[in-house]
Amino acid sequence: MIKNRKQQWLIYGGLIAASVMVLYPFFFMIMNSFKTGSEIMHAPNAMPQEWSFRGYIEVFKAIDLFRIFGNTIFVASAITFLNCLLSSMVAFAIVKTNMPGREFWLKMILSSMMIPGILFTIPVYMMMYDWGWINTFRALIIPGSISAYNIFLLVQFMKQIDNAYLEAARIDGAGEFRIFFKIVLPMLRPALATVGILTFMNAWNDFMGPLLYIRDDSMLTLQLALFKFQTNVPGGNLEQLWAMTTMIAVPVVFVFFFMQKNFIKAFTGVGVK
Amino acid sequence: MKFKEHWVAYLFLSPWVLFFLVFLMYPFFLSFQNSFLDINVLNPENTRFVGLGNWITVVSDGKFWLSLFNVLFNQIIFITLSFVVALLAALMLNEIEFMASLFRTILFVPVITSITVAMIIFDFLVSPVGPIQENLQSIGMLAAPVFWKFEQWLPMPMIALFSAWKWFGVQMIIFLGGIASINKSLYEAADLDGASWWRKVTKITLPMIKPQIIFVLTINIINGLQMFVEVFMNFDLQGGPYNSALTPVLHLYQTGFEQMKMGEASTIGLLLAVIIFVLTTLQMKITAKGD
Repeated sequence: MIKNRKQQWLIYGGLIAASVMVLYPFFFMIMNSFKTGSEIMHAPNAMPQEWSFRGYIEVFKAIDLFRIFGNTIFVASAITFLNCLLSSMVAFAIVKTNMPGREFWLKMILSSMMIPGILFTIPVYMMMYDWGWINTFRALIIPGSISAYNIFLLVQFMKQIDNAYLEAARIDGAGEFRIFFKIVLPMLRPALATVGILTFMNAWNDFMGPLLYIRDDSMLTLQLALFKFQTNVPGGNLEQLWAMTTMIAVPVVFVFFFMQKNFIKAFTGVGVK
Repeated sequence: MKFKEHWVAYLFLSPWVLFFLVFLMYPFFLSFQNSFLDINVLNPENTRFVGLGNWITVVSDGKFWLSLFNVLFNQIIFITLSFVVALLAALMLNEIEFMASLFRTILFVPVITSITVAMIIFDFLVSPVGPIQENLQSIGMLAAPVFWKFEQWLPMPMIALFSAWKWFGVQMIIFLGGIASINKSLYEAADLDGASWWRKVTKITLPMIKPQIIFVLTINIINGLQMFVEVFMNFDLQGGPYNSALTPVLHLYQTGFEQMKMGEASTIGLLLAVIIFVLTTLQMKITAKGD
């Protein structure tokens, strides 16, 4: 800890400068969303001359933004729900039962994390194609419904639950299902929040999945819709583009500020011994 | 702990087993099989066995090696830049108490922003008519606007700069975790010896967070080699001027979904997976030796 006053000021100065550099692009994003198209082009540095809401109005006319938000919320929620349920079931089987081969399964799950995702792009696409899953939400949800990383995180958390609770319940004659749903899941709530937030964010920000599997405009998710909108008429729909970018980015940042502890926990789950 | 029947446990494990068989094992064999076949999804009846044909095509095609070179060039700049920034930020955050959590939260914001959103903002900021170039020109540091998307040697450094802004927060958090777990008495002993701040950082902090540093480097390389959205957002499937922004995944995507050569694309995926796997294992070996 640096006690020296001058050095403390230096550190705060550095942190403020870094924060400005991080936030400056977002400031521009919001400013641009209230500018008119020609101002965005010709006065990139200036504040809005007159505050215009045209971009926000026009973008709703140009695309079915409600539907796209709805699609994304549906897909991301389904993935998050399934991940929380299925990954904690697997973690329960590994940590809290005396099933044979638990060490083996855990090792297998951990080593599966070492296989790079890129390997699966083509074969999984071909599987989806054969099954007729192209252009369905199933193609996004089912392969993302469970993850080795989430199981690993939940295994770590589940180890901290005292077995005495489970023993007591078993003596009282509770079945394993009851124990899992009534005792373990409620106790895992903080861990599930962490896992859920990370999963939801990844699903919300996913680009590659929708790019590969979604064809209809009515089934677009936010990230792909934003990309298509950007490439649609280069320079021709600037106001709408910035309004849409702001509407996609701001809610996420907002939620983050309220739940930052869970976010940061999710990111420190691995790598820190 | 007594648990008479295992069937519930197996039932609970079954989602993983299913996932493993359907979405890991089966596609793995499929991609292995594909790499020996010439497949066009649109007319699958014409599929034929080509032996090592795909492997020879991919390895002898300069595009694969160029794409590897491009990501490595990108990663060298990205890793250096983001490592220094993340480490400095973590060291600074570690020194303060007042508002530390606020600063930590702010510095983490780019991480949670989607690449699509971040890329659109970045694209505007550094464009030839954007605010940064305009400012640089008005103070005379830039003679003429730079069209970085048309220059051969600029796309990768620019994307590295973007990635450093976007991802340094993750590394910062991981370093902070490492620093927090260092025994405080080490610093107290160093203080008694009158060690300078810099000496404490290089002699205590850095060696003590070596596991975190190696972890971060490994993750960066794994993710960097799989870069796609960043180049796709900027150059679509073109791969940039003189293919200078062609990444292995973009190459795979072009081959598979533009030219419809699924066999060759599978081979690219498999080859890249092998390269990543070897690099990761090597990294882990090095870490194990150090401990």
